[in-house]
Amino acid sequence: MRFARAAISEVVGLFVADWVQSAVIVAILAAGWFAVNRLGAAALAGLVLLLAGQMVWFARAEARRAAR
Amino acid sequence: MYQQLFVFGAAFLGSAVESTEALTIVLAVGLTRGWRAPLLGTVAALVALAVLVVFFGQLIVSRVPESSLKLLVGTLLLLFGLRWLHKAVLRSAGIVEMHDEERAYRQTVTELRAATTRHDWVGFVLALKGVFLEGLEVVFIVIAVGGTGRGLPVAVAGGLLAMVVVAGAGVAVRRPLARVPENTLKYAVGVILTSLGTFWAAEGMGATWPYDFVSILVLVAVYFGASRLAVSLVRTPVPA
Repeated sequence: MRFARAAISEVVGLFVADWVQSAVIVAILAAGWFAVNRLGAAALAGLVLLLAGQMVWFARAEARRAAR
Repeated sequence: MYQQLFVFGAAFLGSAVESTEALTIVLAVGLTRGWRAPLLGTVAALVALAVLVVFFGQLIVSRVPESSLKLLVGTLLLLFGLRWLHKAVLRSAGIVEMHDEERAYRQTVTELRAATTRHDWVGFVLALKGVFLEGLEVVFIVIAVGGTGRGLPVAVAGGLLAMVVVAGAGVAVRRPLARVPENTLKYAVGVILTSLGTFWAAEGMGATWPYDFVSILVLVAVYFGASRLAVSLVRTPVPA
């Protein structure tokens, strides 16, 4: 049972370290899906910049938390 | 050809990192308690992982429509790659400690020595658990990069070659591979998987990338640039 729990938490942990960050990434993708269907390939630049930007934001936020 | 090489490289590098961590556990058990039980545990874990690759690999390739597959796997790959990249950025900036295989090895050996009165199944279970749990990441990387790019055999070959190379190096030196630049590898694989994830997720949404697969190189450059920016921002003192 402990092994099964460890395996499940390992699988979830593959994709989620911070639930808020994961939710933001999924929200960006959902917005990207909407934008791509409306604007086509032009929306891709915005999608990539948002994804890259959230990475910088969350790294900074974690550094701020660690500094406290 | 270019795409297949990219898939092979991503599967190889990602699998090499995780195989190094699994090797540390097996070596610690083998050198402390003898080799029979940990090798049996390793074989059992590898068989279970192979079943997962064959089952889910075939299921994904043959059953799931291509656009849904790209969107789902692209999203998961993006979450997975960004998690590695996030940690690599924090390690590069000195916020999080570097992963130390020597220390992980010593810790496992200490735990095992404390458990010497137990039966030999401790070695079996520890190796099985270590190899299986670390191997889950290898399975995901192989299925995700291989299944979506229609290059599962190439990705499996990359993953297997990585395991053979790491195991060979472990047998040769008989100690943890502390000199493997694990953070650098995780950094590189994080950038590659994040780029592949973005590429496939957007294709799954119905977008067509300019210059097709070549645009992944632009994505790699963007994510690498953003991660370096994050490292430099995180390194500078943050006002409370």
